Amino acid sequence: MFDSTTILLLLALPVAGSLLVSLVPGKDSIVSRMLSMFTMLMVLGLSVGIFRQYDGALDPRILDLNIPWISSLGFNFHLAVDGLNVYLLLLTAILFPVVLCCTWQTLPAKRNLYMAMLLLLETSLLGTFLSQNLMLFFAFWEVVLIPMFILILVFGGEKRSQAAMSFFLYTMVGSILLLAAVILLGVESLHQTGNWSFEFETLYRLHLAWGPQLFIFVAIMLACAIKSPLFPFHSWLPLAYYEAPAGATALMAGLLSKMGAFGLLKLAIPLCPEVSAAAAPYIMIMAVISILYGAVLALRQENFKKLVAYSSLSHMGYIVLGVFSFQEAAVHGALIQILSHGIAAAGLFLLLGMLEERLGDSYKQLNALSTYAPRLAVMLMLFILTSVALPLTSGFTAEFLILFGTFQQGLTIWLGNAGALTLAAVLLASTGMVLGAAYMLRFARVILYGTTKTGISVADLNLREALAFIPLLFLIIWIGVWPSPFMDKVQSTVLQMTTHATGIATPAIAAPLTTPGIGGANGH
Amino acid sequence: MATNLFYGLLPEHILLALILLLMMLEILKADNKIGTFLFVLALAAGCGVLASQLGQGFTAVIVPGEILVDRFALISRLVLMGCGLILGLCSLASCNTGKFWMLITSSLLGALIIMDSAGFISLFIGIEMLSLPGFALMVHRNSALDSSEGSFKYLLMSSVASALILFGMSLVYGSTGSLGIASFASVLAVGGTLNWAACVLILCGFFLKASVFPFHGWAPDAYSSARLQVTAFLASIVKAAVILGLVRVLSSLPLNAVTITGITILSVVSILYGNTAAIRQTTFKRLLAYSSIAHAGYMIFALTDNSAGRVESLLYYVAVYAVTTIVACTCFGLVADSEQDDLKCLDGAFHTRPVPSLLLALAVLSLAGIPPLPGFMAKLFVFKSVIASGHLLPAVLAFVGSYIGTIYYLGIVYRLFKPVVATSAVEAPACQGGCSTWSGVFLGVAVLILFMLLPGLFHQLLAIVA
Repeated sequence: MFDSTTILLLLALPVAGSLLVSLVPGKDSIVSRMLSMFTMLMVLGLSVGIFRQYDGALDPRILDLNIPWISSLGFNFHLAVDGLNVYLLLLTAILFPVVLCCTWQTLPAKRNLYMAMLLLLETSLLGTFLSQNLMLFFAFWEVVLIPMFILILVFGGEKRSQAAMSFFLYTMVGSILLLAAVILLGVESLHQTGNWSFEFETLYRLHLAWGPQLFIFVAIMLACAIKSPLFPFHSWLPLAYYEAPAGATALMAGLLSKMGAFGLLKLAIPLCPEVSAAAAPYIMIMAVISILYGAVLALRQENFKKLVAYSSLSHMGYIVLGVFSFQEAAVHGALIQILSHGIAAAGLFLLLGMLEERLGDSYKQLNALSTYAPRLAVMLMLFILTSVALPLTSGFTAEFLILFGTFQQGLTIWLGNAGALTLAAVLLASTGMVLGAAYMLRFARVILYGTTKTGISVADLNLREALAFIPLLFLIIWIGVWPSPFMDKVQSTVLQMTTHATGIATPAIAAPLTTPGIGGANGH
Repeated sequence: MATNLFYGLLPEHILLALILLLMMLEILKADNKIGTFLFVLALAAGCGVLASQLGQGFTAVIVPGEILVDRFALISRLVLMGCGLILGLCSLASCNTGKFWMLITSSLLGALIIMDSAGFISLFIGIEMLSLPGFALMVHRNSALDSSEGSFKYLLMSSVASALILFGMSLVYGSTGSLGIASFASVLAVGGTLNWAACVLILCGFFLKASVFPFHGWAPDAYSSARLQVTAFLASIVKAAVILGLVRVLSSLPLNAVTITGITILSVVSILYGNTAAIRQTTFKRLLAYSSIAHAGYMIFALTDNSAGRVESLLYYVAVYAVTTIVACTCFGLVADSEQDDLKCLDGAFHTRPVPSLLLALAVLSLAGIPPLPGFMAKLFVFKSVIASGHLLPAVLAFVGSYIGTIYYLGIVYRLFKPVVATSAVEAPACQGGCSTWSGVFLGVAVLILFMLLPGLFHQLLAIVA
């Protein structure tokens, strides 16, 4: 039912939408909003269709679009759905209409520029996630920056210019080496196969020497660590998240940060397997530092937006931790965490944006929200609970799988007398969950409960806003209660990745006494 | 033979006729508009001729050892004529005199002769014809106080460059007894003090004309003192002609290791210096001058690739750079009324003049090399061939340079989209420039879109050797 044409439509619709929107005359026109909404919903419909159709057993050639662009250099316009991007496709398609719906009445939403930029952002994100050609991936990866730069610069808060510039220039640093690495991979392909090629399929099969592999790995890690962000490359994050308009912040936390994690899965590990295996313990340490550092900083924040921003740093650490354990359950967990954190962070930022819009600056001193606006308070609480990984929410599934898988891996390594570094890292990471509960619940206590003050009124969620959050809540609960339909879809991809990675890693680890655990994946 | 002399050099003949016609008009004191119109018409005709010759696979040796029309000559002349056409369309609205167009045409004629040349004599004539009208153009109808200073610097530097090239040529002649460009190859291959000197002199001459660091000193003053159209002309067509001339001389010759090291160092330093110095500029033309130093660095960087791939990657780079520069200059003229040069006048321009601002933003982002804009493709082709030749470290340094470059290019975008302060709510007058200016801008944009969609264009065109 859905085939390569659908994939082309996924990208073409938002582009067409953004062009149409910019042609709508006049300011404050509802036409442009309706048009954007319509486009986003169409994309959502197609993505849900693809998501339902996709499972591991599906013939990969069906959802595959490959148009030669410069064949002599191996640039193809090659997009396809696979196990790594199927969650992200769904997440992207859902978050955009939700963000638009939530910010429907805000000032930026009444500008055509805002709509056009949102739609361009959607195209470039979908392109990044779906591309199967490294050059195309890189092009989309860079293009994402431009609409976001303009969104922050034109519609942001007080220090928007500084935030926009630091966001762009900081994230651009990563691309310097990345482009060199991309070209180097093409050259390697030229030397090994006799043809220029940037197709992932070809690149994965190359055998790189240690030197180039190290260079490529460092380049990819730098780019992804800045995008994610990972400690110590996070310093652009608080300012950008704080100054961007609510919708843009939600998209940045929900989707742009996932590009980094996705880059690790798609590029770093398959392209440089040996170096990844060797570097894994150190990357895991970095991830744990991110988790703890983000949590500690979040604990100390008085400002809610900054608190959520730092908690994002902490949660992204879990994803990296899971990815670099090369353990089946943990990788599953990382993928689910991508989805779950995308939903939760976007939801939290949207709700905070709503409060800021309703109360102005005084939302910072807000408390007893549950009395004024019960529906809004319940919604906020649900997202908070997902963030602290309460059982039966998606956050729990994700973080539990990550810690469970990494712990197993750490234990295997320790029992194999190959050092206790990984195990120590996991144990430290677990404390991050406690810290997470501490800062999130403190946040909840301050904002939701407490003494009521007179003279304050907060409008509750109206129907439109409530409707917008329903799909997010639905996903949170679904993944929390019954994740196996999701996990089945990516099972084969995860298995392929972990067996490939452990196959490489085994010689590096001195004596593997036990085989890496396979449990946990379908245990829920 | 005679038909070849006529048909093969038809674009040059058209330009010659145009110069004569413009002289006549100047004597008859005809309306300025007619001159511009004739210029556009002649260039369109020239482009048509070249395109049809390309289609036929026409090649000819017109004067053995001196004038040669091959695929490269056809394509590069088409690029230069096309740029001239776009520039002409863009300046249709501004009332330029016949003299102005006569000078531009002479310069363009020189550029075409460089592309045709197979011998040093025609090459030298071409180079002189290319540069000398530039000097006159800069002072022509220019009320700026520093115009004579800038043009004088340009004249002096360009004469020094010509002298260097001429000296180098005579050394080559002394060593081989031949004036063919091909003899340069044998000189390079043999080595020896005299030949080394020849090689260094010729390369330095070209680098001076292309304003590569450390030969760049004249460029900022010359660019900033000229009028915007002249700056656009200098930065696009003249620079393109010089670089393509260098390609004509070196074609796909393998260079020796020392030369490559030298070129690599110069190009990396040029990229870093140009981009760093551009950050602090507050006027558009100076910014353009420093950015053109950096771009000259990228262009000569492509020469370090020892394969034939550098010809096509340089053709693509030069074409994209020239068209983008013309579009950027014209859009800047549209955004900032006429002769304003301060970057401040771009502040918040998007809110008052969305279309030219958007195009300017896209043009500078393309110059910065943001994918998927054609400027990115151009850089990619250069870097691809350079990295394939094993120069990874210089390539990374050049990437760092282009990152520094994004800072000031982004600064322009930043100014354009900056929210306007409420106090300056004076209603900005509507855009000047009639539909003719727009036709030029849109032709340029269409060409750039073509380059973006078909990046393999020059590869295919060069490959069809009839």
